[in-house]
Formats: sequence, structure tokens, C-alpha cells
Amino acid sequence: MTDARFDELIHAPTRLAIVALLAASEWAEFKFIRDSAGLSDSALSKQLTTLEEAGYVEIRKGFVGKRPRTSAALTPAGRTAFAQHVAALEEIVARAGTTILPRG
Amino acid sequence: MAEQLRPDEAAQALARIREQQEQVIDALSIPDWYWWLLGGLTVGLAAAVESADPTVIAVGTAVFVVGLLVGTGWVVRAGLRVKVRNALLGARGIGLILGFVALTVAVSLGLAFSLQSGGVNRPATWGTLASAGLLAVGGPLLTRALRRTMLDRRGPR
Repeated sequence: MTDARFDELIHAPTRLAIVALLAASEWAEFKFIRDSAGLSDSALSKQLTTLEEAGYVEIRKGFVGKRPRTSAALTPAGRTAFAQHVAALEEIVARAGTTILPRG
Repeated sequence: MAEQLRPDEAAQALARIREQQEQVIDALSIPDWYWWLLGGLTVGLAAAVESADPTVIAVGTAVFVVGLLVGTGWVVRAGLRVKVRNALLGARGIGLILGFVALTVAVSLGLAFSLQSGGVNRPATWGTLASAGLLAVGGPLLTRALRRTMLDRRGPR
């Protein structure tokens, strides 16, 4: 059972999208995150830096052939914080009953 | 902040989380055409080998190798951009994949050997034709079943 803990850093819409995507991945390439979250390069860089400084995300830079490639992955702390944040959101929804549950 | 968050806003945030995670899972889905390609290439190779004509065998093998490399390369290119979390597949997902492979091989070989012992011409072609049918029908079903499994297992586990 995950403890519920609302995380303001994660809850910001763009960061929530990034962390949710990374929570389903082992790692994701910068361009994939950018396209999936609908962000610009600079906006994604800024949010990833914020998450990295919080210890939630690990950024890896490498090369595929001669091309530089940047990818990101959630750290164990980031995974725990996300799990707790989701539990907090579910708790808020549960307290209100099932009438406002989103479809799908 | 949590106290100020309205239930509908929390529900919207949860919906957004689900959408993002679906994008990861869908990026790695195997397209239906790939199963048809796999079936067609296997039948083509078996037919070429059973023709016993060196030229047909050479062409059939070349088409099989090139087709498999190009098709598989196209499908796995998404895997170079994102790696889905291993835990999402789980024992059920792995069981589905292994079961499907075992069924396809068993049908193909079982039918081919039965036909061969019955003296039917081109038993391997008929065997692979049956497995190609399984791939064309069962492959997309497997893809959908794996997608459902991963969607069920996503989330902060």
C-alpha cells in the first residue's frame, strides 16, 4: 500500500505529463518525451532540470553512432514520489465518490 | 495545495497520467501488417525451398531476409526512443507471447510432418501456410491482449 502524499513539484501540468510518461518507461529519449508531452526543446530542458535537481529524474547523455542522444529516466525517489502523488489524487477523487471519475 | 485541489481537478490529473502512459505503450505496439508480412515471408520461404530450384531458393531466401530485416527494423525503431517498463508486461504478458510462439510452431511443424507422412506434396508450404493464418489472425489479437495487460499493470506499482 502506497502512502498518499501530494507533491506540488510533480503536479504542475507539464511535469506531471513528463513524470507519468517516465513512470511507464525504463527510460525515454528526449525527443520522444518532447513530442509526447507537446513541449518545446527549451521547455522540456527546463522541466527536466527542475526534476533532476529534485532527485526525481536522471538525465543520461550518450551517442548513437556520431549523433548525441539524451534520455531521461525516473530515479527510485522519483518513482516513489509519483506513486505517492497518484495515491493522493486517487484519495481526493475517492473522497468525492465515483461521480467525477474520468472515463477510460 | 492538496486540500485546495477539487476532486474534478484530481480526476483530470489522473486522466492526463493515463493518457501519457498510453502513449508509451502504444508507441511500442506491433502493427497488424507486420503479422501479415511475417506469415507471407515464411510461406514464401517454405515454398521456395520445396521448389528444389536453386534460383528460386536463392531469390526466396533473399526476399525473406531483406523483408524480415526491413519489416522488423521498422517495427523496433520505436524501441530506440523509449523502453517500456519491464514490469508492465508481467508474467501474464510473457506467458501470452511464449504460448503464441509455441502454438504457431506446433501447428506448423505438426501439420507439415503429418502431411509428409501422408505423402502430400509440399508439406512444409502447407504447414507454414497454416501458421501464417495463425499469425495473421492471432498476431493482432496478441498485440491487443498485450496492450490490455500493460494498461492494466501501469501506474505507480
